[in-house]
Amino acid sequence: MLDRIASIFDYTLIHATIRSSTPILLAALSAVITQQANILNVGVEGIMLFGAFTAVCVSFFTGSWILAVLAAMAVGVLVSTIIGFAHLKYKADVFAVGTVINMLAIALTRFLLNTILKSSGSFYSAEIVPIPTINIRFLEKIPVLDSLFNKYSLFEVLGIVIVFILWYALYKTVWGLRIRSVGLNPMAAETAGLNVFKAKFQVILISGMLGGMAGAHLSLGYSKLFAENMTNGRGFMGVAAMFFGGANPVFAWIGSLIFGLADSIGARLQAYGLPSQFILMIPYIATIAILTISLASRIRQERKQKSSLNNLPNN
Amino acid sequence: MDKIVEMKNITKEFPGVKAVDGGQFDLNQGEIHALIGENGAGKSTMMKMLYGLYTPDSGTITVKGQEYGGLTTREAIDLGIGMVHQEFMLVEEMTVLENIILGFEPKKSRNRIDFKKAIEKIEHYIENYGLDIQLNKKVRDISVGEAQRVEIIKTLYRGADILILDEPTAVLTPQETEKLFEIFKNLRDDNKSIIFISHKLNEIMEISDRITVMRHGKHVGTVNTEDTTIPEIAKMMVGREVFLNIERKKPEVGEVLLSVEDVYVPGERELSKIKGISFKLHRGEILGVAGVDGNGQSEIVEAITGLRKVEKGDIIFKGKSIKNLSPAQIRKLGISHIPEDRNKRGLNRPFTIKENLIADKFQDKEFSKGIVLNEKKIKEFAEELVKKFDIRPSDVNLSAENLSGGNAQKIVVAREISNDADLIIASQPTRGVDIGSIESIRKILNDIKKKGVGILLVSADLQEILSLSDRIAVMYEGRITGILDNEEATEENLGLLMTGGYLNEKV
Amino acid sequence: MKKSNYINAILSILVALIIGGIVVAFMGHNPLEAFAQLFRGAFVGKFNFGTTLEKFVPLLLAGLAFAVSSKIAVFNVGVEGQLYLGAMAAAWVGFTFSNLSKVVHIPLAILAGMLAGALFAAIPAILKVYFRVNEVLTTMLLNYVAQYLTSYLVNNPFSGGTGVAQSPPIYESAILTRIMPPSRANTGLFIALGMLVFIYWLFYKTTVGYKLRSVGLNRDFTDYIGVNSRKAIILGMMLSGAIGGLAGAIEVMGIHHSFLDNFSSGIGFDGMLAALIAKSDFGMVAIISFFIASLKSGALAMERYTGVPKSLIDAIIAVFILFATMEGLFQLKRRMKSKKEVDEHVG
Repeated sequence: MLDRIASIFDYTLIHATIRSSTPILLAALSAVITQQANILNVGVEGIMLFGAFTAVCVSFFTGSWILAVLAAMAVGVLVSTIIGFAHLKYKADVFAVGTVINMLAIALTRFLLNTILKSSGSFYSAEIVPIPTINIRFLEKIPVLDSLFNKYSLFEVLGIVIVFILWYALYKTVWGLRIRSVGLNPMAAETAGLNVFKAKFQVILISGMLGGMAGAHLSLGYSKLFAENMTNGRGFMGVAAMFFGGANPVFAWIGSLIFGLADSIGARLQAYGLPSQFILMIPYIATIAILTISLASRIRQERKQKSSLNNLPNN
Repeated sequence: MDKIVEMKNITKEFPGVKAVDGGQFDLNQGEIHALIGENGAGKSTMMKMLYGLYTPDSGTITVKGQEYGGLTTREAIDLGIGMVHQEFMLVEEMTVLENIILGFEPKKSRNRIDFKKAIEKIEHYIENYGLDIQLNKKVRDISVGEAQRVEIIKTLYRGADILILDEPTAVLTPQETEKLFEIFKNLRDDNKSIIFISHKLNEIMEISDRITVMRHGKHVGTVNTEDTTIPEIAKMMVGREVFLNIERKKPEVGEVLLSVEDVYVPGERELSKIKGISFKLHRGEILGVAGVDGNGQSEIVEAITGLRKVEKGDIIFKGKSIKNLSPAQIRKLGISHIPEDRNKRGLNRPFTIKENLIADKFQDKEFSKGIVLNEKKIKEFAEELVKKFDIRPSDVNLSAENLSGGNAQKIVVAREISNDADLIIASQPTRGVDIGSIESIRKILNDIKKKGVGILLVSADLQEILSLSDRIAVMYEGRITGILDNEEATEENLGLLMTGGYLNEKV
Repeated sequence: MKKSNYINAILSILVALIIGGIVVAFMGHNPLEAFAQLFRGAFVGKFNFGTTLEKFVPLLLAGLAFAVSSKIAVFNVGVEGQLYLGAMAAAWVGFTFSNLSKVVHIPLAILAGMLAGALFAAIPAILKVYFRVNEVLTTMLLNYVAQYLTSYLVNNPFSGGTGVAQSPPIYESAILTRIMPPSRANTGLFIALGMLVFIYWLFYKTTVGYKLRSVGLNRDFTDYIGVNSRKAIILGMMLSGAIGGLAGAIEVMGIHHSFLDNFSSGIGFDGMLAALIAKSDFGMVAIISFFIASLKSGALAMERYTGVPKSLIDAIIAVFILFATMEGLFQLKRRMKSKKEVDEHVG
């Protein structure tokens, strides 16, 4: 028993976690950017799926993974434009639009898989050019270091970089300040002369770009094929990780690591024939618990503030 | 002195209400100008037009020599106008510094914020005008007085030399108010112009150079502060409208019905918290509660009706303590409530007229068997009330959505009066209601009193208080500043009590 | 539902069908023939019509569940999870008790399913009422908890013993009779329709319904007239969860006759979307659900006869829903009065 636990929790778990958390991380970042403007983008799942399909297609037909990634990002922007119009201009409920996009993604990608790639279920070909893996030769000699720091797909490294780019953009730049104010207090933003519509549309487009990128990584980095509904809830996990992190990119990253960790441990447990479901549940329950606790404390604070039994503040 | 702002013949209408009808206002450079009037007088709307949040339906706005039919906020800011709203436009989760520079961020490179430059500029204001704030605190954690100073610095930072402040002292303690006035004087000495909206007459007399009075959307007059007195201003503010003559005889007052004993109630704002209120109300009397809105009247009414917590003290009704009972229990004991906001509390607008009329009775045996509603009985009851109170339209199956203010209010009154209650709490019962309905509602209250019902009448309308109440209590900042018999009350002395005139405020 | 909403919905489906027709033509098929097959596949013949009914039931119930929560102003996207738990509870009752007569076993299983859904829905309701936690988050996250929980159960203690992730089959006495063989339409249809009528009656003819509608439209008013708004919200949510649980129970008892891991392909979400288009009007929910069910059913036949893939119909349905949720999409003239001004002052 103990050695089974030991083999589940060895140092290779770290690499596995980073691997499985990256698609979730990219999805989470896509959700973070819109959430900062108070838009809940559950359509990330669908955008990812569109991106994954586009990437495989373009890679297969052109032989270039770079073009594939760019195309996926473009498709992501296109899809999010639809979301933007539907929600901002035509006042469709944002959760509904996101869900519909997810539905559309599953149906449309399946349809195109049939008609363009002439396959059903999944599509694999040796001609698909994947996103390169970073291979540092001398690390191969030391197994521990090799596992921890080597053989990562491009976006598994890039993802972490994007976390900090987003963090910087949101908290250190003019643009980020304005976006956050739109999300926190749109009235205050208006009275400061900002264009709330424009700001919201901007973040939706960026979210689409990141979502498309997430999809490209999923089909060309994490795996090397396209399968129907291959996102399999990872977009939603990203949204959940975003909530876990309170829409902060760095904390969302931690959230996605937790989801990735649960996923990896779960896979290993399954390999041993042990039930994985409770481990997989933990990140979701943790997110709910964290939200509840923080709101409960805010309510308590508010109650104290409004109480008539306080001493008057002296200022 | 040259006129830096001139607003002429302004009108502004919103669906159902004419907010401003013939508004006039002008501002000299380097003066402190107070704009006063009761709630709904149109003063906030006038200034929001000056700041570009609304566009006038007609009239002209001239700022620094340039004439406009209407402005955008960005244009107003560019012209040097800054506004500090009644509800602060601050983002709680961001720091003071971030809030101040929002929209006008100094840049290091294309997008990087130059925090250092911002801090330098802001410290200049802090020192020059005495605007004491801490830049790296989150807005959530600062005091109300500090938040207001942040709003002021925001306007200065954006280059304002014309500052509009909407009821700035409404949320301040006396000490904080003094500090604010110091800041005003410093700004004025620096040739900046200040408009401030208020209803606090003693403060206005202390700090302003000129006063403009508005009533019911119209301009009443503009005077130099040194040439006028508080009673004169009070009269201009409150005015004389159609005096609805009520035959008020000295009542046959019965036993004590309601006793409020040293009650403490939490409040939305510091100054509306109830800090030790006591009064008694007898059967067959109307006790009026006068005072400007926001001094705790809502809170005490909610406490009595079970909609707000009582933290200390007690409320005794017909000999029993009703403190912190549920609204349902309190209704059952015999208290009915005409709430101050009929749209929020009094009615469920999307519901039909009949659904609104039986709202507090639908679970009674008369109107439901078990959980099944007795449609027939409900319709009959509703039609009866509609006829008795002359509610239009008379089809009880219509939604209450589009009823006029008067008819909507009559539904609330009809429902609450038809309860055989011993005590009726009527809060702003004729606010926003047409003259005909005002007459009938007041007559209804007076008639009910004769039957031995006790009425607590809360109203910001002094005329209404004076014509209906047997005794009058005045509220100011969560306390009762005085209780007078109707015979000894006058508009002047009530007005003074309402605006804190008698209180010995520490200067 | 306002007239403009009807027009919007109808125009949405027309546009979606036209787009679909164009794609079909591009693919080299005859769009008219394809649509004819679509229609036949939905309605003509016992198997076809039965399949439409079979798909209608869970969609109706899921839509009803969401509509009920909408009426109390709660956004219950957790129908999927409530559905799974309801299915599991019903299945458990179904395969555990062997010596019950049908008259007892079926109601018992149904009640178990509804109770499971109701209790699960109480969690986000309590969190919302007492802690102000946004129910969209909690219900969405709890969906996963429910799916993992039932997955664990069906793979371990409640496993059927076969290699497939499936519970033991339920006893004959818990099976809902097929009403239109060879399709899988079953008596669950009548239970669902009965629920529809019950909900309508409850909301519009009883004191309970008065309280629920009141709290959804104006919570302050509800407190003021003496109704406990907290209790009303929790009750309404539990009702919504119960209906979701019922949907799951019927899937088990009428279609699969056991609990299958991951049996729902998003029924909860489809229902939610139908309810959103119907603006949570109970009658309209039924109509829209039936419409979508017939499209899905017809798509199967269409694929079989014309080779046009079913996924195209799924895509058309998605496009239709997208257009239908966009207000004012088909309004040609709109007065550009500054909405902001009106909101600020009248609010």
